[in-house]
Amino acid sequence: MKKLIINIVLIITTLIIYYLQSNFFSWFNISGVMPNLYIILILFVGLFASQTMGTAYGIGIGITLDLLLGKQAGIYAVSLGLIGFLAGVFDKNFSKDSRMTIMVMSLGATSIYEILNWILKYIFIGSQVEIVNFAIILAIEMVFNVILTIILYPLIQKAGYYIENEYKGNKILTRYF
Amino acid sequence: MYKNKKGGIIGIVITIILLILIVIFSNGEKNSNFFENAASNLVMPIQNGLTYLKNKLGGNNTFFTDINNLKSENEKLKQKNSELEQSLRELENIKNQNETLTEYLNLSEKYGEYKTIPGYVINKEISNYSKTIVINIGKKDGIKENMTVIADKGLVGHVISVTETTAKVQTIIDTASSVSCSMSTTKDSIVCKGTLDEKSALKAMYIPTESNIIQGDSIETSGLGGIYPKGIHIGTVKKVTNTQNITDRYAIVEAAVDFDKLDTVLVIKNQ
Repeated sequence: MKKLIINIVLIITTLIIYYLQSNFFSWFNISGVMPNLYIILILFVGLFASQTMGTAYGIGIGITLDLLLGKQAGIYAVSLGLIGFLAGVFDKNFSKDSRMTIMVMSLGATSIYEILNWILKYIFIGSQVEIVNFAIILAIEMVFNVILTIILYPLIQKAGYYIENEYKGNKILTRYF
Repeated sequence: MYKNKKGGIIGIVITIILLILIVIFSNGEKNSNFFENAASNLVMPIQNGLTYLKNKLGGNNTFFTDINNLKSENEKLKQKNSELEQSLRELENIKNQNETLTEYLNLSEKYGEYKTIPGYVINKEISNYSKTIVINIGKKDGIKENMTVIADKGLVGHVISVTETTAKVQTIIDTASSVSCSMSTTKDSIVCKGTLDEKSALKAMYIPTESNIIQGDSIETSGLGGIYPKGIHIGTVKKVTNTQNITDRYAIVEAAVDFDKLDTVLVIKNQ
């Protein structure tokens, strides 16, 4: 029952993020550059719930975005799916207790996601190669995502440990002992 | 966990104190004593309130009788205010409707030679690197892939995919977009591509070496390429960048359409 509630909350969060991304951040941005809250959400799910769930959420949200907005089916799905998978890898190798670690993870995930997304768009859609402009936008987006991670960290940590407790339960300690 | 929470609260308190101190020091008069000002600011509102109360209670006998009159008057005014607000809302709705219909009419008149279908922008791309939009008309309205989409000021883009009720439009400022255009003065053909460099601009490339492109030149579609009909305004040349090799020179074209405020479009049905 608790798992069902967690999933419902995550789906509602996805919808809220969709609204924020398409409306709120269209004016609340840094030099026209929006953050990407989906990356933070998928990273959060992959880190605290499980790698499988992170990947599944990544692919699920990605497919929805591909259908709603994408030009080539699968680009968002692959990119976000990879973030979910990577979140699982981060979870196995790094501690989530530190705000700094989460910030670095957010930074890494944003760069990996956008670079992969860009490469896929270049291959399948034929977007122009503008490395300098891309790097500038990416840098601003990374900073924006990190700032949001700092702001959301208390919420991420609190909700994260609740989800982790539900999904991993007693298995948490076996990793260290 | 507790330590972190305590630390966090202390951090917030310190930040608030620092903020208050910064505000006081930055706004306070330089010559006056800081503590005197702070004490004065703290006490004065209370003192003012007490004086006001004393005057009302002591000096004015009609104070309590006036309250009832004021209450009933206040009720009446509130009711009137809500009625006026209601009328204002209705008028605003009518005004918005009027604006939309006028916009449609202007668009239809301007592009009268084409059969067009009006639509609204209902969604925009969430990525920083793509500029696609979604409109509220689809297959059931007769929309097909590759149809041209225009707005009041000029070209918007073309339809890339359609569902029953919606259509995805790749705008001309998208980095994957490439439009064959011509300059209004020299009629030379160029290619305008979307760029990440500027939010509402295109990069005009493959400018003929003998062509004399200047700032302010109007750019319109050339009709080549099979998607966009000829003669639709795209924008004006904002800047010409000359390179060492003249074949590599390019120009920045400011799009005529303001994509940030775009909400009404027309899809050209026949070309």
